[in-house]
Amino acid sequence: MTKPPTNSESDKLPDEQEPQDVLEIEELRQLITGPERIEIDQIRERLENPERRIHDLSQILPEAIALRTSQDEKIARAIAPTVEKAIESSIKTNRKVLVDVLFPVMGPAIRKAVTSTIHGMIESFDKTLEYSLSPQGLKWRLEALRTKKPFAEIVLLHTLLYQVEQIFLIHRESSLVIQHVMSKDTKTQDPDLVASMLSAIRDFVQDSFKLDKDESLDTLRMGSDRTIWIEQGAHAFIAAVIRGTPPSDLRVTLREALDAIHLAHGEALEAFDGDPTLLEAARPDLEDCLQSRYRPKQKKTFPLFWVLFGTIIVLIGILSFFSIQGHRRWNHYLEQLKAEPGIQITSGEKRSGLYHVYGFRDPLASDPVDLLKKDKFKPEKFVFHLESYTSTRPQVVLKRIEKILESPETVHLELKDDVLNISGSASHSWIAKMKEALKTVSWISRYDDRNLSDQDERDFDILKGKIEQRFFLFEFRSAEMLAGQEPEFQAFIQDLKSFLNLAKSLGKAVSIDIIGHADSLGTENANLVISQERAEKILSIILKENLDPKNFRTTGVGSRELFREEKTNQDRELNRRVTVRVVNES
Amino acid sequence: MLGVYGVGKTSLVRSFVYSIFDDKYLSTVGVKIDKKLVEIEGQPIEFLLWDIAGEDDHFTVPTSYLRGASGYLMVIDGTRRDTFDRALDLQGRTEKALGPVPFIAVLNKVDLAKEWVLGDEDLAKLNKLNWTYLKTSAKLGAGVEKAFYKLGQKILHP
Repeated sequence: MTKPPTNSESDKLPDEQEPQDVLEIEELRQLITGPERIEIDQIRERLENPERRIHDLSQILPEAIALRTSQDEKIARAIAPTVEKAIESSIKTNRKVLVDVLFPVMGPAIRKAVTSTIHGMIESFDKTLEYSLSPQGLKWRLEALRTKKPFAEIVLLHTLLYQVEQIFLIHRESSLVIQHVMSKDTKTQDPDLVASMLSAIRDFVQDSFKLDKDESLDTLRMGSDRTIWIEQGAHAFIAAVIRGTPPSDLRVTLREALDAIHLAHGEALEAFDGDPTLLEAARPDLEDCLQSRYRPKQKKTFPLFWVLFGTIIVLIGILSFFSIQGHRRWNHYLEQLKAEPGIQITSGEKRSGLYHVYGFRDPLASDPVDLLKKDKFKPEKFVFHLESYTSTRPQVVLKRIEKILESPETVHLELKDDVLNISGSASHSWIAKMKEALKTVSWISRYDDRNLSDQDERDFDILKGKIEQRFFLFEFRSAEMLAGQEPEFQAFIQDLKSFLNLAKSLGKAVSIDIIGHADSLGTENANLVISQERAEKILSIILKENLDPKNFRTTGVGSRELFREEKTNQDRELNRRVTVRVVNES
Repeated sequence: MLGVYGVGKTSLVRSFVYSIFDDKYLSTVGVKIDKKLVEIEGQPIEFLLWDIAGEDDHFTVPTSYLRGASGYLMVIDGTRRDTFDRALDLQGRTEKALGPVPFIAVLNKVDLAKEWVLGDEDLAKLNKLNWTYLKTSAKLGAGVEKAFYKLGQKILHP
């Protein structure tokens, strides 16, 4: 380093000193700096000769690159474009070289990827088949039709539901757990034990079936929805405990995580001695693998959703039940109304909570409100728009006739084939009025009253009988009545009055013969006299009751019409009597 | 835990830890793993115990089960001479697979004093081989903790 100034100093000397001195100094300089000068010339030649520099650089370049690569990534970054260009150029010029080089590497990788894809396809095909005929499958088929997606896709969409519950990163050599991550709410046994046992089982399978090194156990299936996927690395393997049906690309995720961990912590993995703290940094990569996919509608909403759904269904059920029930009752009611004589229904509708009924009603027909009550409807919910009309239905016609005739309870009316049958009994006057009234009635062709009896005529006959059965007894040889006959006589007077009134109302001209009798003891003349007196006696009492004398005649028949043959005095007593006879004058 | 069939490996483990796995793993997979945390010289040590099914005429311990072990107990039944001889052989194979890994020889079933067959010459043979050994009884729980403790010490200070 000190040489150049010396050199430059000597360069200046010749200009300042004498020629003799210059020669000496030059000689001296040759002696002192001769060897260095040769070296300097050599160095200069190395620096200035490109061929030499190339040679020199080639000596140190590999080591320099290796050193720098271990320090940072600058070289990798710097040469990456060149490498890319080189590969590009190589492919352009001669593709075969690269293909030959890459084939041993890519071949197995491609084979594995294809195998995995085909496996995935078979799995999904299995699922498709499995679900194609189940009720679930039918539901999904409908969904496929609705969404216009292929059925297989719908099946996958519903079945590819999974959760990665736990990930074990396990040291291959010692079977110890390097790291263990798990999703929330996952329960687990001691990870160390599980990992060791898992390793043991892997070894067991590998040993038992004499598998090749890269053919290790990669899937364990437990029950219908739990699997363990194992991905094998150089120093460690990943075991993922998965619930559900994971998609096949999850394996790629696991693989990538394992590769990333190996890349970043390769040495730490190799030297793992059971202390997991040294590999904490690997956790994020593992946590990234804790993937999951849930059903679009999560189960969290499950109870509330179903409670609501159930309630709505029940409500709809109840409402439709009542609605149907209400509708049926309403229809039933309308039918009943239509069947009701004297009511014509043209329409019925339910409007703003009220039932409207349209039609016609005979005033004599049943009240539709009464029918409502019978059907347990609330009358205030009904509005009747019923015009009045005259019904020709037999029941109504009969009611109308009953109303016109004001028939008493003893009369029974029946309308059959337009013929009014009148039966029972009625007063003479009602019968007359009825006959008069029916002349004006047009809803019947004729009437039949053969089974109707005249109450007054019957009473007339009964009273006549009662009067004619009466007799009154008299004292011996006297026109005095025997004592104790007053009640009978009073009853006789009452019957007599009724009889005469009835006869008058029936327009019958009647006269009452009062006939006196005597026993056979006296002479015939005397007996005729006493019998006449006895008849007169009865008449005189009758006339005290303000009865018309024109209706009465008296006769004395003596002992000509004896009531009994006279053997004892009692027989004679019975023969001393007055009897009554009704005579129809018309 | 290594040793011939029936020497009491599982009993030793059972008296040492509370197990979460069923013993039937042994007959199915050939190994059952348990865990025990012990403190040795103030340092917590977690044992992951691989109780490997005992060797017999039909079953040889798979070397894959040995891989990664930090140490092992070679269990011998003191009442059966053949277990002693086969232990020597098994130890040889284990060391070949694992390299020089710390181990303790356990002479089990010391409670069966009447049937005990191992004599002084046998112990001298072990001494000559530079084996560390101790007598245990899984049945009585005697020496079990000590065996694991000693193994732990050996692992800490190889």
